[in-house]
Amino acid sequence: MTGARLLRYLFWRLLQAVPVILGVTILCFLMLQLAPGDLAEVLAGESGGASPGYIEELRVRYGLDQPVLVQLWVYVKNVLMFDLGFSFRHNAGVTSLLLERLGPTLLLMGGTLLLSVGLGVLAGLFAAIWVRTWRDHAISLVAIVAYATPLFWVGLMLILVFSIWLDWFPTSGMENVVMFYEGWDWVVDVAHHLVLPVVTLSLFYMALYARLMRATMLEQRGLDYVTTARAKGLTESQITFGHVLRNALLPVITMAGVQVGGLLGGSVVVESVFAWPGLGQLAFEALFSRDFNLLLGIFFICACLVVAVNIVVDIIYVVLDPRIEMGE
Amino acid sequence: MKNSRRIFTGMAGALLAALTLSLGNTAMAQKQGGTMVMIVQPEPPTLASYLSTSGPIGQVAAKIYDGLLEYDTELKPQPSLAESWDVSPDGKTITFKIRQGVKFHDGEPLTAEDVKFSIMDVAKVTHPRGPNTFAAVTEVQTPDDHTVVLKLSEAAPYMMMAFSGYETPIIPKHIFGKGDLRTHPNANNPIGSGPFKFTEWKKGQYIRLDRNPDYWKKGQPYLDRIVARFIADPSTRTAALEKGEAHFAAMGAVPFNDAKKLAENPNLTVTTTGHEMISPVSELLLNTKNKPLDDKRVRQAIAYAMDRQFIIDNIWFGYGKPATGPMSSNFAPSGLYTANVKNYQVPNGVELANNLLDEAGYKKDADGVRFELMHDSLPYGQEWTRFGEYTQQALGKIGIKVTIRQEDVPRWLKRTYTDHDFDTTANYLYNLSDPVIGVHRAVHSSTIKPGTVFTNGSYWSDPKTDALLNRAKVEPDATKRAALYAEVLQFVAEEEPIVWIHEMNFPTVINNQYGDVIVSALGVYSNFDRAYKK
Repeated sequence: MTGARLLRYLFWRLLQAVPVILGVTILCFLMLQLAPGDLAEVLAGESGGASPGYIEELRVRYGLDQPVLVQLWVYVKNVLMFDLGFSFRHNAGVTSLLLERLGPTLLLMGGTLLLSVGLGVLAGLFAAIWVRTWRDHAISLVAIVAYATPLFWVGLMLILVFSIWLDWFPTSGMENVVMFYEGWDWVVDVAHHLVLPVVTLSLFYMALYARLMRATMLEQRGLDYVTTARAKGLTESQITFGHVLRNALLPVITMAGVQVGGLLGGSVVVESVFAWPGLGQLAFEALFSRDFNLLLGIFFICACLVVAVNIVVDIIYVVLDPRIEMGE
Repeated sequence: MKNSRRIFTGMAGALLAALTLSLGNTAMAQKQGGTMVMIVQPEPPTLASYLSTSGPIGQVAAKIYDGLLEYDTELKPQPSLAESWDVSPDGKTITFKIRQGVKFHDGEPLTAEDVKFSIMDVAKVTHPRGPNTFAAVTEVQTPDDHTVVLKLSEAAPYMMMAFSGYETPIIPKHIFGKGDLRTHPNANNPIGSGPFKFTEWKKGQYIRLDRNPDYWKKGQPYLDRIVARFIADPSTRTAALEKGEAHFAAMGAVPFNDAKKLAENPNLTVTTTGHEMISPVSELLLNTKNKPLDDKRVRQAIAYAMDRQFIIDNIWFGYGKPATGPMSSNFAPSGLYTANVKNYQVPNGVELANNLLDEAGYKKDADGVRFELMHDSLPYGQEWTRFGEYTQQALGKIGIKVTIRQEDVPRWLKRTYTDHDFDTTANYLYNLSDPVIGVHRAVHSSTIKPGTVFTNGSYWSDPKTDALLNRAKVEPDATKRAALYAEVLQFVAEEEPIVWIHEMNFPTVINNQYGDVIVSALGVYSNFDRAYKK
């Protein structure tokens, strides 16, 4: 595919993304209205008590006294101008709050994707090569256990073993708050802190991709073109790594693309256990404090991320399998 | 000659060295330097302690802002920003002499104008408790830059207890006087006069406070830095403390069940002191406007059925002491507390409860149920969920069928304090430094206002209670005041609009490498200017 064609494709996909994201935002806005209690009451409660006049004043200030449709209209108008609003609870703009947490979230998600897809594919690959031997069964067993174990338990056990007993990694957080490293030291420090959270979140998805990879590899092995390749005289390893692998990857990539949305949700638990400052934890808090501006901002960003990842996945398809045409 | 000169210099040198060494040893044990990491749970939404009395805010903001006074472990006022003070015989004029040479973190001097602003335009206006605490203040005069005169409409002995940096911070007028106080940009970038300066806040991670080199107490603070870390998961908090990544945790930051394990750790000390200024008392709130809870006998029966010691031992892992009423026994040294009230913690409580309910006309039906109640669990932690489950079991024993309802905080607040739509629920109120500030709001009818939270949740509206509390508020004579409180405590214990369960105690965990961290009744809400790293 040529560069120009790619650009045109991207342009159309992005244009299509706009109504999708808007639709998601409006839907979320309306759903949130169903939750009883509002921000003014939460703020009053958190401040340890307030007079009723104060609470009404807060409502007027936050625009909570307007009818729902008016609030929705105001919000959509602002979003179209990239103004995500103001979080009264945090006393800061939503955009700046989100951008602060976006980096750590992307680090965690990126690391998890790399590790889970990478190791998952490898594990599935080898399980398929050694099919029906004890090695295959061992990999499958590990995968099932990893899949079934609750994330927070895995996280806490990893902290117990690798942080408290072995002292190889820190227990939590993103950086060392006693040393406050700078520059390259800081990068190493963050990487050091990233290991345990990424491993915890990856284990679950790794299992998923390993099982899927194994299944698709075995399916591909049985197809006609493999028999033809063998007849042509190619070695097993040439067949496996040169041909079957690329075809088997397609379903795994699809799955990974779909899972990105779920990754953000699953990360709430990991972020909570490891005190990792990501969007998941922020969303969780925002819900319980009825900080709707912030929550909607997070939904908006998540919708954008998922759409972006899906576009990337579609492009990867074309790279992997030239038979697939880039759609219009 | 050369040799003797060498010997002489040698001896002089040795003497000097010996002198310095000995001086160094007899000097204070506090060393300069070190970073202390404290866990604050949950993360504060802002640092505006003048807008919100939410616990976590105070834990951090108290290091940044000073107050006019400090308080020692017996709740006696000590000089802080105010060097000295004088109360007129009729109690209606209070004069404070402000310390000279105090500067805010931006270099501007702290004067009487800032004090006047902090009381008249901040505490009386935006602070949740301030309008009540400073209701009697009609005017603040500033005859010169370092003198502040408060004029009161009536004597207010309790007000002297509200001048800590946590309760009434002195904030700079030249910063907060401009713009709207409620949405001020410096809410999260505070500038105070306290021992620690605000440096940065990475939301979701930590707040970093650095040492104020120009603090008015020479040589203090000893620590270079305090970092407040936020860790959402309780087990991870324990892990961080065990490993020494965090050095201090107080209030809800330490899970009760882990406190015992942490106490056995040789590197840590677990203490329960430092809550004398907070004195939380837990309540089982009964909606006295609903049948059958409007009947005193039913309420007393419920009070007899709750085994306070069991609750303390099994839900709060031994931390706490049975409560006798809305006032904590921490007020015993000041004479305002009495334990001489109706005692519901008796061995034959269940029997007495059953008798009372029979007497009130609520007989058991074929299934042994007299009537049904709904209990709304306080959504502030696992202990309160357990407490709800215990209430269900305890009341089940006397024939009251309890259903438990769980909701999140905003929903619970609305239901309890706005809609009044509940039968029973639980809560805990801080007594704070004087009964007027913390205790009155539990049972005085004037605090029943829809939307006003953490006040008279039982809707107990009784003229006798109100009258006694009103008199106790303005009574300047300590003995007469004590007698008034004794009378009202006996009366509310008899009427029991709320079943008071226990005086709460929170374990505070301190790493042994740090000394002088908890040094006053304010505990974690003090400014840590004396804390040092060994």
